[in-house]
Amino acid sequence: MSMLLEVSGVSVTFDGFRAINNLSINFAEAELRAIIGPNGAGKTTFMDIVTGKTRPDEGTVIWGEKNISLLGLSESQIAMEGIGRKFQKPTVFEDQTVRQNLAMALKNPRGPFAVLMHSKTTANAARIESIAEEIGLTQSLTRRAGELSHGQKQWLEIGMLLAQEPRLLLVDEPAAGMTVEEREKTTDILRKAAETRAVVVVEHDMEFVRRLDCKVTVLHEGSVLAEGSLDHVTSNQTVVDVYLGRGHA
Amino acid sequence: MRKSFIAENPSVLWFLAALSLFTLTVVLLSEATGTAMISTSFVKTLGKTLCLCLIAIAMDVVWGYCGILSLGHFAFFGIGGYAIGMWLMYARTETIVLESLQNQVIPPTPQEVSDAIGNQIFGVVGSSEFPLIWAFADSLFLQLLMVVLIPGLLALVFGWLAFRSRVTGVYLSILTQAMTLALSLYLFQNDSGLRGNNGLSGLQNIPGFEETSQATISIVFFLASSVALGAGYVFFAWIVTGKMGSVIKGIRDNEARVRFLGYHVESYKLFVFTVTAVISGIAGALYYPQAGIINPGEIAPIASIYLAVWVAIGGRGRLYGAVIGAAFVSLLSSWFTGGGAPDIDLGVYRIQWTDWWLVLLGVSFVAVTLFFPKGIGGLFDYLVRKPS
Amino acid sequence: MALFRGSRPKTPRKLDAMRRFLLAIALCLGALTQAQADDLQQILQVHADEVASPSRRSVGVLLDDLVASGLPQVPRFLEEWAGRTVWQGPDGRFFFGQEDGDQITLTDLDSGETRIEGRGGFTQLRPNGGVRRLIGTALVQYQLEDPDISRRESAVAAIARRPAADQLAPLVASIEGEPDDTLRARKTQLATFLSARFADTPQERIAAIDSLAQDTTVEARSVLNQILQTEAGVAASEPDGNIARLLNPMEAPDEYYAQLVEAGFAPAQTGPAVIRAALEAHIRDGTAGGVPLAQLGTDAARERAYAALSKEGLVPPLVTVETRDYALNAYVFYELYDEPNAEITAAAEAALASAEQRVAFAQAADLALDGLSLASIYFLAAIGLAITFGVMGVINMAHGEFIMMGAYTGYVVQLFVPDYTLSIIIALPLAFAVTFGAGVTMERLVIRHLYHRPLETLLATFGISIALQQLAKNIFGTQARPLTSPGWLDGAWVISDVIQISYIRIAIFVLALIFLALILFVLKRTRLGLEVRAVTQNPGMAASMGINPDRINMLTFGLGSGIAGIAGVAIGLYAKVTSEMGADYIVQSFMTVVVGGVGNVWGTLAGASLIGFLQKGIEWLNPSNTLAAQTYMILFIILFIQFRPKGIVALKGRAAAD
Repeated sequence: MSMLLEVSGVSVTFDGFRAINNLSINFAEAELRAIIGPNGAGKTTFMDIVTGKTRPDEGTVIWGEKNISLLGLSESQIAMEGIGRKFQKPTVFEDQTVRQNLAMALKNPRGPFAVLMHSKTTANAARIESIAEEIGLTQSLTRRAGELSHGQKQWLEIGMLLAQEPRLLLVDEPAAGMTVEEREKTTDILRKAAETRAVVVVEHDMEFVRRLDCKVTVLHEGSVLAEGSLDHVTSNQTVVDVYLGRGHA
Repeated sequence: MRKSFIAENPSVLWFLAALSLFTLTVVLLSEATGTAMISTSFVKTLGKTLCLCLIAIAMDVVWGYCGILSLGHFAFFGIGGYAIGMWLMYARTETIVLESLQNQVIPPTPQEVSDAIGNQIFGVVGSSEFPLIWAFADSLFLQLLMVVLIPGLLALVFGWLAFRSRVTGVYLSILTQAMTLALSLYLFQNDSGLRGNNGLSGLQNIPGFEETSQATISIVFFLASSVALGAGYVFFAWIVTGKMGSVIKGIRDNEARVRFLGYHVESYKLFVFTVTAVISGIAGALYYPQAGIINPGEIAPIASIYLAVWVAIGGRGRLYGAVIGAAFVSLLSSWFTGGGAPDIDLGVYRIQWTDWWLVLLGVSFVAVTLFFPKGIGGLFDYLVRKPS
Repeated sequence: MALFRGSRPKTPRKLDAMRRFLLAIALCLGALTQAQADDLQQILQVHADEVASPSRRSVGVLLDDLVASGLPQVPRFLEEWAGRTVWQGPDGRFFFGQEDGDQITLTDLDSGETRIEGRGGFTQLRPNGGVRRLIGTALVQYQLEDPDISRRESAVAAIARRPAADQLAPLVASIEGEPDDTLRARKTQLATFLSARFADTPQERIAAIDSLAQDTTVEARSVLNQILQTEAGVAASEPDGNIARLLNPMEAPDEYYAQLVEAGFAPAQTGPAVIRAALEAHIRDGTAGGVPLAQLGTDAARERAYAALSKEGLVPPLVTVETRDYALNAYVFYELYDEPNAEITAAAEAALASAEQRVAFAQAADLALDGLSLASIYFLAAIGLAITFGVMGVINMAHGEFIMMGAYTGYVVQLFVPDYTLSIIIALPLAFAVTFGAGVTMERLVIRHLYHRPLETLLATFGISIALQQLAKNIFGTQARPLTSPGWLDGAWVISDVIQISYIRIAIFVLALIFLALILFVLKRTRLGLEVRAVTQNPGMAASMGINPDRINMLTFGLGSGIAGIAGVAIGLYAKVTSEMGADYIVQSFMTVVVGGVGNVWGTLAGASLIGFLQKGIEWLNPSNTLAAQTYMILFIILFIQFRPKGIVALKGRAAAD
């Protein structure tokens, strides 16, 4: 099977602390994947490496059909390659309207002069409308993002990722701080998104992961401990010992 | 060009209307074209203030919109002034020298003319040779090109170096301050080729218009400054209103997010830094012929910090705020330091504003930062009740 | 030492010793002999004619006899003789005489008895200049061996001032008997200088010159330079003599041509000014040299007109560039050593090169010391800033004004406490207290409200900075105020002619070391330091562990400001105290912090060292221009930041990310 992203043999060390240890993990073209693991398992660092924020000490990160190495690329180039990232804390541009936030994320030329000469088109407007509908913010398009509720900000950020039309979506703890209904909606958005692209969700919350109903990878001390369905991994004794046994009673 | 940008930014029309009204009033009250209720020197002060407003807008775009607290934009302003000053000084000295050589029995050779001009200009620093940087000083067109090119190139190189190594925040501020300091120290040297601490002088005399009165020249420059400010306002409003504005405000608020959206943040910063540097250079080129003299002291780092003060007092992130801040503070400053403000007699101590103005400015600046982070422009917003 | 012995063939060692022995006896017996003997008078009477009208050629015998006599009266006689105060009576006897109108006071040469007589019949002895010089040389020998050390010193100094060939022998003779070690060393050194220039044989001179290679004093180098003096000249062909170097006239053709003209080998240069003057002098009917005046606006036309004039013989011929160069190539330009012996000049060149190399090393050492003291100043000025910036992320633009405040505190203390040592001892803690207070006040009133808004802190503290600066101006005026250092800090520690360092700078260096130790101690060994580090690394966690970040921030800010106050006193001691002094240091302090790396004492130390040494190094490369040095230094720093954006000592890992 041809993989969208192949991470192999990656290690990274911070001041003697091995955050990622010989990690190898692959993602297919269109799949929904949850990554779980206790604190310090290297989930966020893994995302940092894929998105170009952190350079690994060793290992390879290969992307797409052309087998491009992501390690030499800058954050913006990686984003342009089709990898979108949602941070743990919702980071939207609070000073700008929802529409402006989405417009900025829309897949369009990213150079300064192209942006300067950019003019609004009906196609773009339609795209924004449809994404807003997808994330349930149609009513709020003209509101400032700063006025949105916590959950709405999370959706807006996911919406911005969708607007980028990425082939791989890295989502860090999307459900944190959400009400039950909000979680359900978030699950729907992510599952729908995963129909046409790879979506990787890093999550603490087991209920949320169960609801996603997808393949699960367990990280521990910087490498893959187990992989498979949630039931499969939760029946793994080692996983229970290191994670579930302590973290999730 | 987007049709909607003015509609999205109604302040542009308001501003242009106010500026036109102001300009018209000054023209009607000036010595040259009106009732002479405003003295020529005050017309010059107002013209200079308009130039300061223009650089304040540039500063607002780079700082208030893009989040780069540059402490170097006054250096670009000064470079613009020097570039035009070189032509003004050269051309005027040439006229004078040719006039004085005319009475000689034998007509002068080009070399003799050049030596005499060089002697006039560089005599104060003990030289008569033209340094290389004066190579284009005899051409108004080329020097005008320099007004734009030198600040632009300097900003491009400096910005490229600074942004590519991801120097941000206060580090970047200090780095820009260091750049300004280096430039002013360089210009203070006698062998800088720009007359050391003497600077360039006599810039108020426009070559070719020796017969024209200063009253007329002042109003011409006032009008030019007004047009430049209006054009600059529209230009910057156009930049900050659309998607470009979204991106640079995004960079200000969350650089990493913009980067992960796929924008090459460094290019945008470089674009904003360079464009505002060019506009600053143009503002300087209009300012110094009205001031009459430019010297390296003008470029000292403190000037750039004052620029930040104006923008902060006026209100960052809104163009008219920068204009209000620059006009308000610089006019107030010349009122206080010019002895316009009456002294306050406390019995034991007499507060003379020439001595105490800076203390007042410093303290009020702290107060604005603490209590009115949105500045005077914020107050304006509040009164108009316009959601931003 | 063999060198010096060999250099005085006229006074063999044995005789020398004997003479000194006799001299000693004479000294012992001085009181006895003086009364009755006419010893000196007798010797003089033997040579009476020579004494009365000495000639330079023949006076040597007399002087030798006088010196050989070993009489204690001889030096005084020689001094007075040379000073033209010796008189001859009608009976042929000699006296010291003091003219007074028609009277003359006579002093007997041997007994010292005085009497007054009429002038008539007495003649004054007037030895000419050449003779007096010989007398002087004979005298130096006495002075060099005078029991009074101050006279010996002044004799040595006199030789050093005006070295001459004939002083060499007496100087060498006096070395062995010199009781004072310092003076003996000085005499030996001086003897080497003299031998290098005046010894009899080239071998002796070369040996002395070679030994000068070790000597880095200015004096030794000037001796070598004197040996290497040259005279420039021009001739049709290479001259005889010790040629130092041949010169290439094409390096500065106009200057060399001027030499040719001066030597009479070529006609005067006809530069543009000459041509112009010649044309103006020969204007006829609106033309000059046949060319209408209006057309003379180019160099070519003027030269044409001038050529026409010279054809008529009205002006000298035109010297074009070609004729000038032709003339220059036809002659040899050279520099000729004054010293004819090529071996000696070669040895001197070699010795000078080696001495200059040593001097260069010494200069490098001196430069390093300068750099060190500048680094100490930057460290003191920046460390307070580094603490507030590193711990709190606060850029304090008013830091420079705290430095100024400290300096003015010192000044005010000196107004009340006149004793400089005591006043400095009071001023240091007081300056700390004042600026600590100011820092804490500022933190409570302003900075506390602006945490997490670093750019706004920068601006607010800038507002405080301009207000404080103007306030200082209003209180203390614009002129510089003195902050006088105690007397024991005056002067400099002189290590050699080249290497020296003022005590103030040493004191500042020591102060910087003390502060480095103190700050390290506070941060690493005290409870406060522990809490500060905790707050730096993770404020939230620190707060949850019962550390009050508010209090820590306040204390940290106070500490940083207090150190600025002490730095102010230190800087005020060697620079002037003005309201703008803080502003002079603030940019450098920022750069020190940024270059060093934030939040680390060692980083600040590294940054200060880098900037201090760099600035001195650039000044050394371009000594004429400190402004240029500063410009280049800032450019270097801007480039440096490119490669190490986080400074020399960078924090690593996730903590450093934002």
